[in-house]
Amino acid sequence: MIEWLKRRYREDFGGDPLRLALAMVGLAMILAVVVAFLYLVVGRTLKAVWSAWGWDVVRLFLGMVGVMAVVFGNALFLVWAERKVAGHMQIRIGPKEVGPYGLLQSIADSAKLLAKEIITPRLVDRPLYLLAPLVIFVPCLVAMVVIPFDARLQVRDINVGVVLILAFSSLTVLAIFMAGWGSVNKYSLIGGVRSISQGIAYEIPMLLAIIPVVMMSGTLSLKGIVEAQSRLWFVAVQPVAFLIYFISAVAETNRTPFDLPEAESELVAGYHTEYSGMRFSLFFLAEYTNMFIVSALATVFFLGGYKGPVLPGVVWFFLKTYFLIFIIMWFRWTFPRVRFDQLLNFSWKLLIPLAMANLLVTGGLLKL
Amino acid sequence: MVAEELLRGLEGLGLEIREALYERQGFWFDIHCPRDRIVEVAEAFDEKGYWIEDVLCVDWRERLELLYHFNHWEDPRRLSVRVQVDPADPEVPSICKVFPGAGWHEREIHEFFGVRFKGHPNLAYLFLHDEIDFYPLRKDRVPIPEEDKRLLTSMDFSPEEEDAFWINMGPQHPSTHGVLRLILKMRGEYIERAEPVLGYMHRMQEKMAEVRTYAQYYPNTARLDYVGPLAFSQCFVGAMERLCGLEVPERAQVIRTITLELNRIASHLLWLGTFLLDLGATTPYFFAFDDREQILDLMEGLTGARLTFSFFRIGGLYEDLNDGFLEGVARFIERMKKRFQIYDDLVTGNIIFVKRTKDVGVIPREVARRYGATGPTLRGSGVAYDVRRSEPYAAYSDFPPEVVVRQEGDSYARYLVRLEEIKRSLMVLEQAIERVPEGPFRLQKTPKKPVPGEVYFATESPRGQVGIYIVSDGTDKPYRLKWRSPSFSNLAAFTEVVKGQLIADAVATLGSLDLVIPEMDR
Amino acid sequence: MEVRGPLIKFGVLEKLLNLARANSLWPMTFGLACCAIEMMATTAARFDPARFGAEVFRPSPRQCDFMIVSGTITKKIAPVVRTLYEQMAAPKWVIAYGNCAISGGPFVFEGQYNVIEGVDKVIPVDVYVPGCPPRPEALLEAIMKLEEKLTGYRRFPTPERRW
Repeated sequence: MIEWLKRRYREDFGGDPLRLALAMVGLAMILAVVVAFLYLVVGRTLKAVWSAWGWDVVRLFLGMVGVMAVVFGNALFLVWAERKVAGHMQIRIGPKEVGPYGLLQSIADSAKLLAKEIITPRLVDRPLYLLAPLVIFVPCLVAMVVIPFDARLQVRDINVGVVLILAFSSLTVLAIFMAGWGSVNKYSLIGGVRSISQGIAYEIPMLLAIIPVVMMSGTLSLKGIVEAQSRLWFVAVQPVAFLIYFISAVAETNRTPFDLPEAESELVAGYHTEYSGMRFSLFFLAEYTNMFIVSALATVFFLGGYKGPVLPGVVWFFLKTYFLIFIIMWFRWTFPRVRFDQLLNFSWKLLIPLAMANLLVTGGLLKL
Repeated sequence: MVAEELLRGLEGLGLEIREALYERQGFWFDIHCPRDRIVEVAEAFDEKGYWIEDVLCVDWRERLELLYHFNHWEDPRRLSVRVQVDPADPEVPSICKVFPGAGWHEREIHEFFGVRFKGHPNLAYLFLHDEIDFYPLRKDRVPIPEEDKRLLTSMDFSPEEEDAFWINMGPQHPSTHGVLRLILKMRGEYIERAEPVLGYMHRMQEKMAEVRTYAQYYPNTARLDYVGPLAFSQCFVGAMERLCGLEVPERAQVIRTITLELNRIASHLLWLGTFLLDLGATTPYFFAFDDREQILDLMEGLTGARLTFSFFRIGGLYEDLNDGFLEGVARFIERMKKRFQIYDDLVTGNIIFVKRTKDVGVIPREVARRYGATGPTLRGSGVAYDVRRSEPYAAYSDFPPEVVVRQEGDSYARYLVRLEEIKRSLMVLEQAIERVPEGPFRLQKTPKKPVPGEVYFATESPRGQVGIYIVSDGTDKPYRLKWRSPSFSNLAAFTEVVKGQLIADAVATLGSLDLVIPEMDR
Repeated sequence: MEVRGPLIKFGVLEKLLNLARANSLWPMTFGLACCAIEMMATTAARFDPARFGAEVFRPSPRQCDFMIVSGTITKKIAPVVRTLYEQMAAPKWVIAYGNCAISGGPFVFEGQYNVIEGVDKVIPVDVYVPGCPPRPEALLEAIMKLEEKLTGYRRFPTPERRW
């Protein structure tokens, strides 16, 4: 230990005691400023908040930390899982060398992206370009607040939970367009425009597929919907709605076969061409989190949420969600891309009438 | 037959016709045409249903000679029309109103030789670029005069109307077509005009041939079309054998056939993988490459190379078969027959794939004829023309392959044609590996220098008809060497067909044409 | 001229970051000619570089780590190569794959007017892979050499001569 200190002294300060003393003084000053800030500003704010809200604050805070943990843990896991699943479907194995079974691959990827140069092209529309990665990622966190992981593991059970989730997931479309318009690039623009049409076209069937579920459970709160499935999962009663919801969900998250906005071979680019480093990884984080959210919602609405025998509810919830995520990945490696006008035709001319018919039939049967 | 009728008509017009010896020269008749009457002659060919194979130019120092090669689907005898041009006044009427496929050939001759074509809509640079200030393929260094330079740099990409804009695809493609740049004039999502910019891979193959001996030049033939190199090798080697009148031993011919068919299967498999990668499906790429690796293992054991085989020699092969090659081929045939089920399940029946490729990029027969399209692009449009049947080379007269034809002409038809061609190649292989005769694999004595003269040879590569035209002056270096590349004519047909399509459809059509850029750019 | 180092030295952090970078090198598809097919064969199932983390082939230059220049560089494509290199985000590396990228390959002859003899006349190169075309194993070895350049460790030991 002493040897190491001596070596650092020699290498970093050149053996010069004056430089060491100056460095120590500088460090002490910085420490003093930090401690003063913590005490005066942060401490006083915390005290004020505590006297207003009490323990609720702690619960909210812990909940948000839990949600962030789930989101980032999910992203790390899915990056690895996607590569492994892809590998095995393509008669090869995915990452293998980086840690046992390639488990440390996600960490290597994230560390590399953190340390990459962040290039901001000169001519971009700065506010839009810089805010797009945030606008695409933050609504996902908000949407995670209402998802019921277990009967008592939910940050807040808002009584209009469904509306909250749908509202915040529409913001993704806005963010993609901000990215496309803000990076002043013909191809990103085309990618952004396509994404908007796709997003709007597929939100409607998603909504129309959820309404029968809401009608049958009589409440807009997500926990209430899960409780209403204690005897029978809704997928048995509403198979059509489940399929429509699932397909629209895959289209909303811009996954193949609906990934035209980020289509690589068509226009070399997509809406995230001009982003590098951490900004780019925010787009990918948002995509994986969206995948998790729509699968979680599909389990909540149709597959019974956290209900299940023997195992704790949380385990059932994650099992069902990851099963649906596996199916989404399976789609990606099986189907080619759908052409854009076929995509829109499929939504407007097939899914929406089907969803409306389903709605009518459900409403009629419920009345009887 | 058709050729006799045509020739009688041309004789009536007062043109001089000479019969050529097919076994030594590669074409049947030579028609000498004064330069003002070339359009009349072209119209006569067009009326009788001929298609344009190639337009090329030879620099004989005191004169430039233009050769137009025409061929017919039902009566496949090559006719060659010659026009002599004075280098001091190099102007020839253009035939691109009659045969639009000649348009690009004429552009190429203009920038390489300086021959101006009257009536051609666009004589700008096709392969070369601004830094070059001489005509490269002329024997002496002839600088480009001012007004010609202005003509060459006259292509302009400004938006002509209000709602039209130019979009650029490439030259860096994620979908590995190679370095092809397509400038598309778009109106909304629909393409109005496609202008390919070639020449990013122009590696001066034809100029190099004039500086290297025949033996030194031979490995370059594999670098032209790196996916199916043996067809080009066979073309070069066959042309020299035809010129010198060499009789290649039977064993060499049969082994050549076996390796050519293996190469065809490997090329179609690679095309399958990359075509689906273009459309967005990433999994068939891995399956196709897995099958291709089996073939490459066999070829590596035989020739020593995985991709650019230099296996043929003038007069036979480089080396005899190694042990286990024929058993390996038999095992591969068995394995491949079982793999078709995977492709049928994953791709042919995939509804999204069908919707992306059915009725997309239909190439009508007349367009294919006027542009000189060949290969699966032509056979998908209902024409049963295959060089292996019409001008058999190697051992194809002993094992004639069945020609696969489909009538629709869309990308799905071209996909099915290629899949079927793999099956037919497997049948040819099955027959050929049973009947490999004993004997020498190479001629003992080959001449040091070839006979002076000219020769044309055509083979069927997985992309279409490959042709080579060699002029030899008796030394050990070629005087002029010209390649007829199938992707060149197929791409010209594509620019006609892509008008009015969406970009996604254009990508699918481009993928279904199976282009390899270096064979276009030479 | 002596290049001054950065103001704040990170030491151990830099080593860890280099380790992370080496294990997650994302290549950019820049296949030009014949070597592009061998590059594609490398990404296929048999010689999978995804094992080492080099799986994600991003088409956009801003998101890749290194560029595999595979194929002949002609005068027409040289400005494109340069533009793509400048668009890449640091830290970035270049592998010159194949004889044409190293020195023009078999296309250099007297009187040639279109080929640039080697991509290192256009952009700086880190690893050279000779061959025409080099085998896919050579590309994997080049990736491992690049990792060795970053971290100082070789992933697999070089086999030693035993005679």
